[in-house]
Amino acid sequence: MIQLLRIELYKIFKRPRTYISFAIVTAISFIIQLAMISDGKSFIAFALQGVSEQFDIHGNVLNGYLIAYIILQSLLMQIPLLIALVAGDSLAGEAGMGTLRLLLSKPVSRMQLVLVKFMGSFIYTLLLIIWLAIIALFLSLLLFGQGDMINLKSDAFILLLKDDIMWRYAAAFAFAMLAMTTIASMSILLSAFADNSIGPIMTTMGIVVVLTILSNLELPLFSLVKPYLFTTHMIGWKGFFDDPVPYAAIGRSALVLVAYTLIFLTATILYFNRKDIKS
Amino acid sequence: MRKFGAIAVAIFCLSSFAARAVSGDQLFDLLRKKMLTVKDYTAEVKMKINVSYMRIPTLAGTLYFKSPDKMKLERHGGLSIMLKKNINLTVSNMIPTGSVTVLNMGNVTIDGQNLRVLKIIPEDDQGQIILAKIWVDENSMLVVRTETTTRNDGTIKMALRYGKYISYALPDKVTIDVDVKDFKLPKGVTMDYNEVRDETPKKETKNRKGTIQLNYISYQINTGIDDKVFSKK
Repeated sequence: MIQLLRIELYKIFKRPRTYISFAIVTAISFIIQLAMISDGKSFIAFALQGVSEQFDIHGNVLNGYLIAYIILQSLLMQIPLLIALVAGDSLAGEAGMGTLRLLLSKPVSRMQLVLVKFMGSFIYTLLLIIWLAIIALFLSLLLFGQGDMINLKSDAFILLLKDDIMWRYAAAFAFAMLAMTTIASMSILLSAFADNSIGPIMTTMGIVVVLTILSNLELPLFSLVKPYLFTTHMIGWKGFFDDPVPYAAIGRSALVLVAYTLIFLTATILYFNRKDIKS
Repeated sequence: MRKFGAIAVAIFCLSSFAARAVSGDQLFDLLRKKMLTVKDYTAEVKMKINVSYMRIPTLAGTLYFKSPDKMKLERHGGLSIMLKKNINLTVSNMIPTGSVTVLNMGNVTIDGQNLRVLKIIPEDDQGQIILAKIWVDENSMLVVRTETTTRNDGTIKMALRYGKYISYALPDKVTIDVDVKDFKLPKGVTMDYNEVRDETPKKETKNRKGTIQLNYISYQINTGIDDKVFSKK
């Protein structure tokens, strides 16, 4: 199994397309950091205009913690799509290249193969999130310095003291990892249905985009389904930047994501075990 | 019987006169003089902002004050949040400067304390303060409450508690009541994490009350503070 995982990781990281995700994350982070260096003050003035009518806020508002939060918020939609680039290709790519049949002729069970593909995608996701943490958080701290962090919600102004932020980022990245694992497992399921990688990648993107819009639309019509959509819970990482931290809600969101991941993974194993593999 | 009545009336008149020995104008002048003895101070403070839409932990920092109206909170690398400049947090700024008309509103008892109430109307009708009402403890010559109606920032109520620095008329604790406006940002912009807690219906009011509590831990008085301290961002 470990040997199989090694081969899988070799395959993932040998492909140039794997690094597209890292390049995109880096590019988006750089663009936001550059924009904040050049025009961050007017952005902050605009964002805080409701508060600054009555209060004067002095100090390093535009610090690394805030910039990292803005980057994470901006990458909310993109990261799942980058995960799909690799996870959506995992089974369908093998089928498309005609290597799946050959692979299964080895003494490897189909369940083992699905689990290895899942673990490979998990490790890729983990590395992407670590890279995001380095670029978005640590580079921003280097460029903009430390400071208390302002978090604006639709109806609240939250101030977090600088000594009370790093653990929140660690928890938020861990939660983001969980959310992205759900995306990876869904992408692997879609990959099991297809014989070329374009289909599952595009379908994953489509599902994430549509469900994210549904999760964010403030219409009573959708309020019934919202709690059951995994996209509603994917932004649970933001809860760590609230005060007090809504641990119960975050826990519920984490459970929903774990449940979705297990459902997608089980469905993939069940379907793949019965699949008639022709190539 | 008539004699006894005359004596009683005389005693009542004398005691009333004694109580009113200091007129409103005189009392106000005495207070202002006492306040003016503090030219500047540096104080270690802890500030708690209780505003419905703000979730801010207690902020510790150094508060610089220089007469008449310079004030700055420095948080040693952290963010400082203060009410707008025109609503300064000192008593002296809650009381109009220059020529004023002082109206004596009589005495009231609050929390067992007998207080003299003065209404102060500034003669300069272009100033920030339109009307100030102050509650004075005549025994200690201290302002213990103020209610200031400002031109642009509504009515600000201030309650003061004195302790170690009573001789300078500097409070240990100040509680400021302010009117705060509503705060709303589009959910599509903030992309809130919709937890159950936030889904409870909230009262839709345009103006809400808020309090700011300042606890002064220690003061350094009249040491001379450079103006540059207040201009530094």
